[in-house]
Amino acid sequence: MSDNTDEPDEATVAADLVRRIVAGDASAEGQLVERYRRGLLYLLGHLGALPDLADDLQQETFRIVIERLRQGGLADPAGLAPFLRGTARNLFTGEWRKTGRRKTYSDTGELAQAVAHTPSPLQSLLLDEEAEMVRRLIAELPTERDRQLLRRFYVDEEDKDSICADLGLDRLHFNRVLFRARQRFKELWSASRNGRPQ
Amino acid sequence: MNHTYIEENQIAERYVAGTLADAERERFEDHYLSCQECLDRLEVTEALQRGFKRMAADEDPPRPATRQLAVVAWLAHLGRSRQIGFLLAALLVLAVLPSGLALRGAAEHGRELAQVRSALEQEKQRSAANAGSAAEAEKLRVELKTSRRERASEHEQLALALQPQANVPIASLDVERGAGPLGAEPTNRLQQPAMGSIVFELPVDPPLKNSYRAILRDSQGHEITRVEDLHPSQRDSLTFSLSASLAPPGDYTFSIEGSTSGAKPIPAGRFPFRILPPPNH
Repeated sequence: MSDNTDEPDEATVAADLVRRIVAGDASAEGQLVERYRRGLLYLLGHLGALPDLADDLQQETFRIVIERLRQGGLADPAGLAPFLRGTARNLFTGEWRKTGRRKTYSDTGELAQAVAHTPSPLQSLLLDEEAEMVRRLIAELPTERDRQLLRRFYVDEEDKDSICADLGLDRLHFNRVLFRARQRFKELWSASRNGRPQ
Repeated sequence: MNHTYIEENQIAERYVAGTLADAERERFEDHYLSCQECLDRLEVTEALQRGFKRMAADEDPPRPATRQLAVVAWLAHLGRSRQIGFLLAALLVLAVLPSGLALRGAAEHGRELAQVRSALEQEKQRSAANAGSAAEAEKLRVELKTSRRERASEHEQLALALQPQANVPIASLDVERGAGPLGAEPTNRLQQPAMGSIVFELPVDPPLKNSYRAILRDSQGHEITRVEDLHPSQRDSLTFSLSASLAPPGDYTFSIEGSTSGAKPIPAGRFPFRILPPPNH
């Protein structure tokens, strides 16, 4: 699913990795981990796993998938990504159920903490910085209409069609504003993360 | 689905917001598992969305009007007779309330005074706590800034280190034979390069040891750095490189120690040398 014509597509790469792992090529196992590690960590984080748990589940996912491949591969070798995704998701769901069964709350404070997660001072600081970058981004926008567009899309989570209809925009303009906003924010964000003045 | 489709349909934004249909979500997950570009986009989108929500939360604190609207909505749900009953009861309360308040007034004054005092005390404590957390936040801000600056500097050094280096100076040093005259100047001399590394070549005498270590000391005898696990080359010499920034112009000595398994390190030569300032100094 890539539009970069220089690189082989996902199905080709996945099929090749599966074939080599089935044939006992240990370097292919390393390449499998290298290729999918970051994506799996993101997926697990998106599902709600905290970093330590995401790391554990990611390793367990690779262990299960590699063992399965060593024992004979997949019916559809190009379906490696769905297999990894499904395994990670199942492991997360299993862990969540297990934790849910074990968890008891000894006092109301702990219960309140479990219900409403309060950011640490450092997290608050980082959130403040992100908000500041957004303020700067908004201040740089040329029109009030573009400001409204971003606010309604990101804050109110309205869908594209209703925003376009309300503001009298076409989809192309909408995409352009969103693309530019993301690019500019990326610059501010990267500069802030690397500690460089912009 | 390709990157054009992802861009045009805001797939990453909708994924982060959790508004994609199941089938589309799964297709996108299968895609981004191995797509660095989409993972970058997801991280930026998440941060952007968080930033927007944080900003909106800072700017629009919850208003009491919401509660008033809720009461009106509740009243609208009641039947006509209940609405009238409720309004009559409210009027009665309003009529009786002033006389009741007058009777309780004196007692209330004393209680209010105590409450004001208690509130004042709590406010004082809260102010003190806020001052503490403000100081804590400021401290964190400074730490964060410093750590980012260090990281940026490390990035720059790393980028510099990854660049190919041309005209790397190679210093073949001669070992010091005998004690040498007291206060004699080192005969090994080299010019400090503007940046990068210096490659040192130090000959060692047979019988050769399993491995060697080189200890760099300044003219006061203070250790600057040491290089472990050196093995003699085919030319019976030890070669290694050091960053030029470690040794500004001045006099230095490499002490070489050889090690054999289980035994104490054995001195295997001293190599005094002088680093001269770069030519433009």
